Amino acid sequence: MGDKTDVWQGTLALMVLKTLETMGPQHGYGIARRIEQTSGNALSLNYGTLYPALLKLEQEGAIASEWGTSENNRKAKYYKLTRAGHRQLERAAREWSQATAIVARFLEPASETR
Amino acid sequence: MRKLRALWMRLLGMFGPERARDEIRAELEAHLQLHIDDNLRAGMSPQEARRQALIRLGGIEQTRQAMRERKTLPWLETLGQDTRFGLRMLAKSPGFAAVAVLTLALGIGANTAIFSVVNVVLLRPLPYANPGRLVLVSESQPKAGSSEEGMSWPAFTELRDHNRSFSAVAGLASHALTLTGRGEPADMSTVVVTPDFFSVFGTKPLLGRTLLPVDGQPGAAPAVVVSEALWRSRFGADPVIVGSQVTLDMRPFTVVGVMPASFHTPFFSQAEQLWIPLVQDPLFSGWTTKPQAPHWMPVIGLLRPGVSIAQARAELQTISVGLAAKFPDERGWQLGIRPLRDEVVGDVRSPLLVLLCAVALVLLIACANIANLLLTRATARSTEIAVRVAIGASPQRIARQLLTESMLLGLLGGAAGVALAGWGVSALKWTLPAGLPQLHSIRVDGFVLAFALALSLAASLIFGLAPAIFAAKGDPQTHLRESARAGEARRSQRARSLLATAEVALAMILLVAAGLLMRSFARLTAVQPGFQTENIVKAEVSLPRFRYPNPQQWTAFSNQLMTRLQSAPGLQNSAIAAPLPILDNAVTLPFVIAGNPPLPPGTVHLADYVAASPRYFHVMAIPLLRGRFFNADDSPSSPPVALITEAFAHRYFPGQDPLGRHMLFGFPPYGNVSREIVGVVADIHDVSLAKKLAPMLYVPFAQAPFWGGEIVVRSTLSASAIAGAIRAQTHSIDPNLPITGIESFPEAMRASVAQPRFRTALLGIFSGMALLLAAIGIFGVVSWSVSRRSREIGVRMALGAQRQDVVRLILMQGSRPALAGVAIGAVGALLLTRLMTSLLYGIRATDPLTYAGVAILLLAVEAIATYIPARRAASIDPMQALRSE
Repeated sequence: MGDKTDVWQGTLALMVLKTLETMGPQHGYGIARRIEQTSGNALSLNYGTLYPALLKLEQEGAIASEWGTSENNRKAKYYKLTRAGHRQLERAAREWSQATAIVARFLEPASETR
Repeated sequence: MRKLRALWMRLLGMFGPERARDEIRAELEAHLQLHIDDNLRAGMSPQEARRQALIRLGGIEQTRQAMRERKTLPWLETLGQDTRFGLRMLAKSPGFAAVAVLTLALGIGANTAIFSVVNVVLLRPLPYANPGRLVLVSESQPKAGSSEEGMSWPAFTELRDHNRSFSAVAGLASHALTLTGRGEPADMSTVVVTPDFFSVFGTKPLLGRTLLPVDGQPGAAPAVVVSEALWRSRFGADPVIVGSQVTLDMRPFTVVGVMPASFHTPFFSQAEQLWIPLVQDPLFSGWTTKPQAPHWMPVIGLLRPGVSIAQARAELQTISVGLAAKFPDERGWQLGIRPLRDEVVGDVRSPLLVLLCAVALVLLIACANIANLLLTRATARSTEIAVRVAIGASPQRIARQLLTESMLLGLLGGAAGVALAGWGVSALKWTLPAGLPQLHSIRVDGFVLAFALALSLAASLIFGLAPAIFAAKGDPQTHLRESARAGEARRSQRARSLLATAEVALAMILLVAAGLLMRSFARLTAVQPGFQTENIVKAEVSLPRFRYPNPQQWTAFSNQLMTRLQSAPGLQNSAIAAPLPILDNAVTLPFVIAGNPPLPPGTVHLADYVAASPRYFHVMAIPLLRGRFFNADDSPSSPPVALITEAFAHRYFPGQDPLGRHMLFGFPPYGNVSREIVGVVADIHDVSLAKKLAPMLYVPFAQAPFWGGEIVVRSTLSASAIAGAIRAQTHSIDPNLPITGIESFPEAMRASVAQPRFRTALLGIFSGMALLLAAIGIFGVVSWSVSRRSREIGVRMALGAQRQDVVRLILMQGSRPALAGVAIGAVGALLLTRLMTSLLYGIRATDPLTYAGVAILLLAVEAIATYIPARRAASIDPMQALRSE
């Protein structure tokens, strides 16, 4: 696991929301795998931490869940984005890119002086 | 918003935990299956596929736990668990629970009851539109050492017309007027006001209007404002009362408005029924035109918004200077103001605060006691706690559980305390002076309930903290291993001794305070008033001024009444006077001694003034020291005479013979009269037993009558027979005269000390509670230690210690916290009892006798509390004690 990055606090929710937006309704395992794939396997996601995060998002009304059947005929709980979730994703994404842009601007001159 | 929704969902999640658990299990199961399917497809063996899936999940149990915690509110769940467990634990030891809850209930109940009074009387603003801006304006003569008095009419008009600090100022006085023409004639308690009175308070009338400036003009049509109570009782709540006529003292007044029942004039008892303009009052209107200025009128002002008391005071200085220049009589007088609230609650503030401190101390002692009980219980439960720690409970978890149990105790005690308080409040209420505002609204309301709740929680924190910390700190091993307990026990023992010391110290403070009050009350009631009250009955007769308009009639009436009373069998010792000592307000008048050089400006001689019929001194048993008493020859047509008291002679005729000297003075309507001093009588306490003897002047009632007076009769007949005779004789002269305030003199005197008596009794009860609690505390500590040390004691006895050695050992142990507590408490008492100086009479707050007595009492009680366990220790059978472990 040496060169893999742990998931930063608070970004997991954003990743879950984005994943659900692109993939549509998905079960927990699917979300976890998708996050790993999207990160190019650079992220080490402890699948167990995903579920409390899903619960939290559901309690906050960003996602909704219902039981369904997977492609290989397994019963699984599917999550989908709600309208509030869409709004939350939009806002979070905007804030995130602003934050990264600011941090990036801080780092730029430092690299020039080197 | 999102957070709130999540909180709500989690709260909901607490219901139906079974279903939630199943769902979590199913979801994780599905997750594993999906992962295993993938792994199998990737070519792993079934075991390896499952192993990898589990590893990536990070432990199925942990995940399940994390989800469960997210699903519900874990702390709430633990709280629920702890509460259920705590209730079970309390139910298991009902004795302990009962003692603890009862102790707390007493403490919290007393605090809540006193606080509900403090809340209304001291904290709540006065019930007027702008309570913070209301002030009392008064005049005083700082140089002559006179305290605050009312304002003179010239000073009032000057202030009213030339100030920038006040939105309005108003003077007021009270007077009884006779209402006729509406049912039975009756005396109405009337407030006589200048017209701005109602703008000062800003209370809207229920009907009609209040008084206007025009009503205050001389020659204006007489207007009256009636109270809602009177409107309902006497006018049948007549909706068209405004504009109708009523007759007061035989003069027609037009009703202009009705004031709501919630409105009361400050200071005056809340029974006032009418308000009339000052110019319409038969008595006080005369005082507005006299050039010479008695300072009779209390004045209330409403400060302009934004004007501070200090600013107003500065302006009053300037006005005082102007006044002195304009009116020679005003020279030396100084205008002053203070918040109206101070004046209204002045007398009850310090007793209430002392009581509040006292109950707070009682509660603290109760907390210390319960902390001690809990420590004992925690020790008894150490094995239970050790097992819980051993199977994984964190120290915080244990501490939280113990604190929850404490909170439970606190809340139970608080609930019982509130019930007690509700009962105590109604008892407290009627012991307060009737002039206090909003007395009727004193009750256990929402605010007081919140206070009781906060108090219960604070108390549970105080007594629950020490045991919780001890439990949390303890190493489970030491709990489980018997032999390793010594260190922990020593620490706990020290904590208990500290608690016991604190209890004794607090009890000491309280007992000293109570002791001081009791001793000062004893001194107060032991004061010889200077007159004898046994077998005296008093009654007040007042002559309606519309039927008895002039002083000649007053004299004639009093002479006639005295003749008739004194000729009745057994009533020879009858007299009329005004005012009576202690029971009535004193009348203080300025006087000038003829033949003395004029007083420097700004100074004045003052003495208390009494008009009395000749027999008065016999009835009251006031001895004559020199000269003669009044007699029947001192009539309106004979030369005016006066008697002075010994204190008067000492002060104003030092080393001289006062007999034959003349003085100039007079009760306001008559002005100054030159009177010859014909005798010196002994001093009496005329204002209150607690005040020192003031110089007094007596004049013959016949020469300076009032419109009625106080009749005093000393007789061996029964009080009811005397009262009947007074009534019969008065009504034989005029059947329509009202007779009020018929009372036996000693009983009326006792009522005058009812408040100090009550507060002394209350503090006595509280300190008794404190003493008992402190004794229980010491008893608990010592007997606990005896039970812990039984083996050591057994060894000592086996090695030859005698019974008395053991008793001494244990007594010493108990005496240490007691002695330390007494010492600390004495220091605390020295610091705290200074606050109650104003409540003490004839004794200083540092009275060594009280301190010594209380210390001895405390030590004696503690010795008894220690002796019982010490006896038990001495009766330990060494063989049994050694074998038991």
